[in-house]
Amino acid sequence: MNKLRSMPFKKTLLVGALALTVCVTNTSCKKFLDVVPDNTSEIKHAFKIRNEAEKYLYTCYSFLPKDGDGWFNVGMFAGDEMWLPQNDLAHWHNAFRIAQGQQNKSDPLFDEWTGLRKGNGNFNAHLKIFMAIRHCNIFIENMQDLTKVPDITLTERERWIGEGMFLKAFYHYYLLRMYGPVPIIDKNAAEDATGDELYYKRMPVDDVVNYVSDLLDQCLEKVPTTISQENTELGRIDRNIVLAVKAKLWLLAASPLFNGNPDYAGFKDKEGVALFNPTFDPTKWEKARDAAKAAIVAAEANGHFLYRFNDVGFKFSDTTKKQLSIRNAITARWNPEVIWGLSNSYFINEALCMPAMARGRNTDRFQLMGVWGAPVKIAKMFYTKNGVPIEEDKTLNFNNYTEVKTAGVSDRFNIEQGYQTARLNFDREHRFYADLGFDGGIWYMKDANDQKNDVDNRFYVQAKNAERSGFGHFTNWNHTGYFIKKLVNWESTTNGQNQGPSWKGYPWPEIRLADLYLMYAEALNEVEPGSATAIEYLDKIRDRAGLKGVVESWSNYSSNAGKYTTQAGLRQIIQQERLIELAFEGQRFWDLRRWKLAAEELNKDITGFNILGKTTENYNVERFIFSQTFIAPRDYLWPIGNHDTRRNPKLVENLGW
Amino acid sequence: MRKEIFNFLKRNRIGIILLLVLLLSKSGFAQEQVTVQGVVRDTVSGLPGVVVKVVGEKNGVTSDAVGRFKLVADRTATLSFSFVGLKARQISLRDKKVEKGVIELNVLLSSDNTALEEVAITGFGNKQKKASLVSSITTVNLKEMKTPSSNLTNALAGKVAGIISFQTSGEPGLGTDNSSFFIRGLASFGTGKRDPLILIDGVESSATDMARLQTDDIADFSVLKDAAAASIYGARGANGVVLINSKLGKSGKPTYNFRVENKASSNTQNFQLADNITYMNLANQAVITRNAEGFEPYSQFKITNTADGADPNLFPNNNWTDRLIKDYTVNQSYNLNINGGSTRARYFLAGTFNRDNGILKVDPINNFNNNVRLNNYSIRSNVDFDLTKSTVIIVRMYGQFDDYNGPIGTNNRSGGATTFDNALRSNPVMFPATYPQSKLQYIEHPLFGSSKTKNLDGSFSPFLYVNPYAEMVKGYQVYKTSNLAPQLEIKQDLGMLTPGLNARAMGYLRRISHFSANREYSPFYYQALIDPTDQSYQLTALNDGGLNSAGTPGREYLNYVPGGGAIDSRLWLEGSLTYDRTFKEKHALGGMMVTYMSNYEGNGGDFIGSLPGRNTGVSGRFTYGYDNRYMAEFNFGYNGSERFDQSHRFGFFPSAGIGYRISNEKFFEPLKPVISNLKLRATYGIVGNDAIGPAGDRFFYLSDVNLNNPAYGAVFGRNDGAPTSSKSGISIFRYENANITWEKSKQLNLGIDLGIANSVDIVLDVFKQKRSQILQRIQSIDNASGLAVSPYANSGEAEVKGIDLSVAYHKNFTKNFWTNTRGTFTFSSSKQVKVDEIAYGSSLSHLSRVGYPINQGFGYIAERLFIDDAEVANSPIQQVDPGNRVPVRAGDIKYRDINNDGRINSDDKVAIGYPNQPQIIYGFGSTLGYKKFDFNFYFQGSARSSFFIDPGAIQPFVQSAGYQSGLLQTIADDHWSETNRNVYAFWPRLSAEYNANNNQPSTWWLRNGSFLRLKQVDMGYSFTNLKKIAVKNARLYFSATNLFVMSKFKIWDVEMGGNGLGYPIQSIYSLGLQVNL
Repeated sequence: MNKLRSMPFKKTLLVGALALTVCVTNTSCKKFLDVVPDNTSEIKHAFKIRNEAEKYLYTCYSFLPKDGDGWFNVGMFAGDEMWLPQNDLAHWHNAFRIAQGQQNKSDPLFDEWTGLRKGNGNFNAHLKIFMAIRHCNIFIENMQDLTKVPDITLTERERWIGEGMFLKAFYHYYLLRMYGPVPIIDKNAAEDATGDELYYKRMPVDDVVNYVSDLLDQCLEKVPTTISQENTELGRIDRNIVLAVKAKLWLLAASPLFNGNPDYAGFKDKEGVALFNPTFDPTKWEKARDAAKAAIVAAEANGHFLYRFNDVGFKFSDTTKKQLSIRNAITARWNPEVIWGLSNSYFINEALCMPAMARGRNTDRFQLMGVWGAPVKIAKMFYTKNGVPIEEDKTLNFNNYTEVKTAGVSDRFNIEQGYQTARLNFDREHRFYADLGFDGGIWYMKDANDQKNDVDNRFYVQAKNAERSGFGHFTNWNHTGYFIKKLVNWESTTNGQNQGPSWKGYPWPEIRLADLYLMYAEALNEVEPGSATAIEYLDKIRDRAGLKGVVESWSNYSSNAGKYTTQAGLRQIIQQERLIELAFEGQRFWDLRRWKLAAEELNKDITGFNILGKTTENYNVERFIFSQTFIAPRDYLWPIGNHDTRRNPKLVENLGW
Repeated sequence: MRKEIFNFLKRNRIGIILLLVLLLSKSGFAQEQVTVQGVVRDTVSGLPGVVVKVVGEKNGVTSDAVGRFKLVADRTATLSFSFVGLKARQISLRDKKVEKGVIELNVLLSSDNTALEEVAITGFGNKQKKASLVSSITTVNLKEMKTPSSNLTNALAGKVAGIISFQTSGEPGLGTDNSSFFIRGLASFGTGKRDPLILIDGVESSATDMARLQTDDIADFSVLKDAAAASIYGARGANGVVLINSKLGKSGKPTYNFRVENKASSNTQNFQLADNITYMNLANQAVITRNAEGFEPYSQFKITNTADGADPNLFPNNNWTDRLIKDYTVNQSYNLNINGGSTRARYFLAGTFNRDNGILKVDPINNFNNNVRLNNYSIRSNVDFDLTKSTVIIVRMYGQFDDYNGPIGTNNRSGGATTFDNALRSNPVMFPATYPQSKLQYIEHPLFGSSKTKNLDGSFSPFLYVNPYAEMVKGYQVYKTSNLAPQLEIKQDLGMLTPGLNARAMGYLRRISHFSANREYSPFYYQALIDPTDQSYQLTALNDGGLNSAGTPGREYLNYVPGGGAIDSRLWLEGSLTYDRTFKEKHALGGMMVTYMSNYEGNGGDFIGSLPGRNTGVSGRFTYGYDNRYMAEFNFGYNGSERFDQSHRFGFFPSAGIGYRISNEKFFEPLKPVISNLKLRATYGIVGNDAIGPAGDRFFYLSDVNLNNPAYGAVFGRNDGAPTSSKSGISIFRYENANITWEKSKQLNLGIDLGIANSVDIVLDVFKQKRSQILQRIQSIDNASGLAVSPYANSGEAEVKGIDLSVAYHKNFTKNFWTNTRGTFTFSSSKQVKVDEIAYGSSLSHLSRVGYPINQGFGYIAERLFIDDAEVANSPIQQVDPGNRVPVRAGDIKYRDINNDGRINSDDKVAIGYPNQPQIIYGFGSTLGYKKFDFNFYFQGSARSSFFIDPGAIQPFVQSAGYQSGLLQTIADDHWSETNRNVYAFWPRLSAEYNANNNQPSTWWLRNGSFLRLKQVDMGYSFTNLKKIAVKNARLYFSATNLFVMSKFKIWDVEMGGNGLGYPIQSIYSLGLQVNL
């Protein structure tokens, strides 16, 4: 055993220990493992200079809903306003699956909570709203730190902070509209938070409304009155937008869905806090009225007014001018009526709205698809030419609305002269003809002729089976027989023979002045029943649409002449006016919910004309398409979904899901 | 002078005594001659080609194919036995028993210079006597690894105890026919590396590198299975280590070993398709059974004419499998190695050429080859020379080259698999493969048939039917890979400092380069337009690029699509000191210290991927043995990896073990004749794994941000001609997390080595492994947190338990008849202990993965098919996919409502079946030798695994773009129909549309993956007396692999599991000749 302790073994240990020391304690050995160079892309680099920080600001904007895309504007297809062919999955998307009663809590459709199943398919998680809010908080926090972004002026810093705050407020509002009570995320939880601090709970609706309202008030003074650098800044937030969103917020808060809704009286979170205030609060309507008024005053002071077509270079009939006034209020880029245009989301679905036209040179159904269709009930919603509902007009009989009539010379700017089409398409208001294409309907486009008139080569729609705009193509056809003319820019060129259409897109008008007028009228009537000011603002809208005022129209033509004198009657008038004026803009879906009318409207059948019919007789028959169901109160609010309710112990699912 | 002589005598005492004895004996018994005969073996079987000489004489004999030799020698002679790569032995005949003038002599040669005893490779170039080993190391017998498959990974299953292995494809090239193998089964459910570390001559290698090795060139092959063996590999050894070393040269005249093999290869099993008349009738039924007013795709006219065998251009009747796939293919392989050297320098040179052809048909219309053809060449040169008496330098050069040619695949499937897949997924009756060229005489390109597809309502859709023949012959893919690894090793005997001390340094630089390219034309498709008056037809082009052109326009010429290329480089340096000495004959002391560093870099595709991967560390191993009875060892690895934050970049991985060789105790002596060897072993230790997480996501301690992501950008401005303001935005791929560290494996191994009557060897190991710190994404993150990505955490835990057993039996019945039988059994069962998952309440606890094996399948419980529509109406709503457009009807699968909520959705899935990787792999076989014949067979089996048939892949008639699936015979024979309402039929009610309800993983599609396969049969005959043609010996052999399989599953080869429509596993028959010169 002596030998064990002798030299050789010690030497071995010594050499071994040496080897160990050399490698491990040596700093160069540690450096050997430091393979990552400095200046890799890390978050801290985003706030080093103004140029990088500006990208962060743009990032905050990038999450704004892409409402100019029918696949991302849930209001367009999740309700009953437009319908798509179902035989083929080519035009299938998540919002439209909601319209067909497929909403569920295991994989919620158009799921903003997780950012999934928006658009076409199961992806697009990159547009997650909660991610946007987190980004806004990071942005605001870093911009408020004066040591960051040293090369920015104080004024611009304030403006950016204001924009960040507005966006954060808007994203909360957007979630509130879908889910009702939502978490208030004023500060971010740490990235490595665990347990309790990781989980947010839903806050009562009133708290969310007040939070968003306060935030909007705070940012109001920080953002510019109006955008002066139009070439590079149109689309950024100014005071008009802030005030308009505040008006929308309070209108939502004052409306029956959120204001003392008895259906949600017992809806509490896991700690027993009531998430809805069960008591109706009339002052909310006052706040809504004041907010709308403030928004209108500011907008008008900054040069916004109702758009009217006024180009003397064209030899147009009065009819065409009125209809272009209606169409261009939406489709003319940055027209004076647009309070908030989404510069990041131009309308991109014109090809889906416009079919191949009779007299048009382009007959390619891949280029002129005309797939978006309006159900018959939407066509019926528009007023008669006398400005009253078709059921009320005592001078015009629409009882047999599918009965065929022949268009005469006086109809020629609306219906191809001599064409036979359904009664429903005759004697309607200008907005009917401006908004809808139908079998025999005129579809005015700027490039239809070179004469700058509306007489030569008038495009019109031939929608019977196997006709140019009719059924027959394998994916692209219209399922109801009503095409969405309103969203097609009249300056898009579609008349090329060997060359595809050139669509003139337009920044989606998220809020336009007409909307504010209608909001103001609605709130006024709730505060002072039968308000004359409300009617005054309605009449501004009706005048642009070529209609007489409410009082005159109802008095002369309605079978219910005194309707506008009562609060309920005027409410109905305001609501119908709103649905017509804002048709196909993705508003009806939200308004029906806000008014708690969805349970009634969305339980009706979707119908269309018989698109399989090849003759006038066969075609002009109402055809059943789909039986919609809306379960109240469940369907008024989105399901949060199993994914999150199973993860967050503080989260309660919405009622009925 | 006298003093010197005295010293000389003193130093060479024993030698002189022996010399004297020899001299004396020579004079005494010089005249007595004896016949010496016997077998020379290594540990498992007889060795052919061993040179047996009488010491001092020039001539000798060579052992035959099974190791037998016979010669005549003096009674007192000493025989020498030598063989390339093995330690030579000298055996004196003096004390051997003579019976009737014959001495029976069985000789064991071992592959190492420590003669007599078997040696195991223990890592970092070190060796240890097996007898003193306490850790669990399997030394693989190379003879058993010889199979006609030119892929070494396919020889592991059932032959190496402790390896769970399976093969799912037989397609050569691209690594597609490699077997997946896991040492002691899968132990982690992380997304990182889960397969073992493979070291070939110390060079870190891929499974494909290993696949290309030739058994003729391998000197030893060890598998390190427990922590005590693997912990010196520290952070990289958690999944076990495979060590392979190539042969080194041996002094002497050059010897040549040449092997040539010709192999015929065919599919073990093809899926069977129904005839096309049945196809059309059932296609009609599939529409009508769902919608009585539906559009029948095939008219009675077409069916009748097809049945009558009318013109196949008008009434196509294709059998795609026959059209695309050959019955067999022929391959060759050649291997030559040369071995020799002087006393100071030795060399081993080897060259290999293998050609593996695929089983696809090649059309004479092309002058290129669209079949798979993998040529691989390798060259190896191992030279070692003695620089001084105590210094050896070894230079190894290895070059491995693949030249691949094959059909074009898709993004995620190789070309061969795509071709097999297309054979099933293409409509067999809508178009012929090609129309006769005479139809359009000026056109030179092939006239491929196709047709526009139709929607369910009979209207045309914009797609053309996929013509699988055109897909196969339209082009080809080539890739070339070279793998060069020069290596330098220096060994220094430091005996002058202290006996038993050695130093060693080794370094290598390995460069792999690879490029691939596709060349293809775009086929022109034609359709026959029939003139109804006389049934003649004209061809019309479908995709000429004109107005009504459908699909991709045709293109006559080949174009080039780059398939990417890669170059990478690994530099490795290691240095070690070893100490090995026995004191006072009883205290055996060993020690080793090694330090190493490695740097890996390549064109990784992105910034993170391009940064070097590095490891460095120091490892040690200390062993102590007392009197060959008690042994103990301690090992450690202290390793660093570049992936982690500085605070835990280095990890310490210790292990220890003890062994007790009872059979060497005095009290055991009486038992020795029965139990020749008995040893008990126990080890425990920790090993790590730094290759965690996805490969592109390495630096967890840093955030990863894209500061210019257009998806998060915005645009502002009027946009009427003046420039707008547009900027990209920011997106976050990873938040920084300094806490991420190694995956850890704590391993316990208990082993027993048992030898019975010197003829049966049993090695049994029982193991338990606890894997912790498995990297996983945190699941319980609330979306409201707004995090762009869920963070990772080292939070997973799993457990593996099992046994591995090997039994070998060798016996010579007579001098002409001997056998060698062996078997292995590996059982490994895993359990997920801690899985990051959401808190399932009691009503959903069945969704939790905790407690289930890794890779456990989850699915619905299928009760049976619905009897009638009334039952559908009265059962829970089946909402497996809310988007399903086919209403659930009678004959569709009925699922069980596990949580009783009245609807069937993903909440009703439960764990079903065994995991999809087998828990048991076993094998057994025997070698029998009789005179110059030898016969060898081996069975291999697999048990306790399950797989799901993928109904989406085999659903007939369903159209997806241009694909429309064919009809498997099984479905034609056994499906639910209105006239045959069998609620247990194999296939539910037919549907011409994708029916999500029936396309779910469920017990309906669950199958047992167990099988027993006759893996290999060899027969050989050896020639020994061929001196006239300068051949020492030669062996002619016939060998067959994958002859048949026994399994309950019959539709395709069960080992392919859910991948059954891919390139089948191959049966290979080969005829080979091996010659030693």
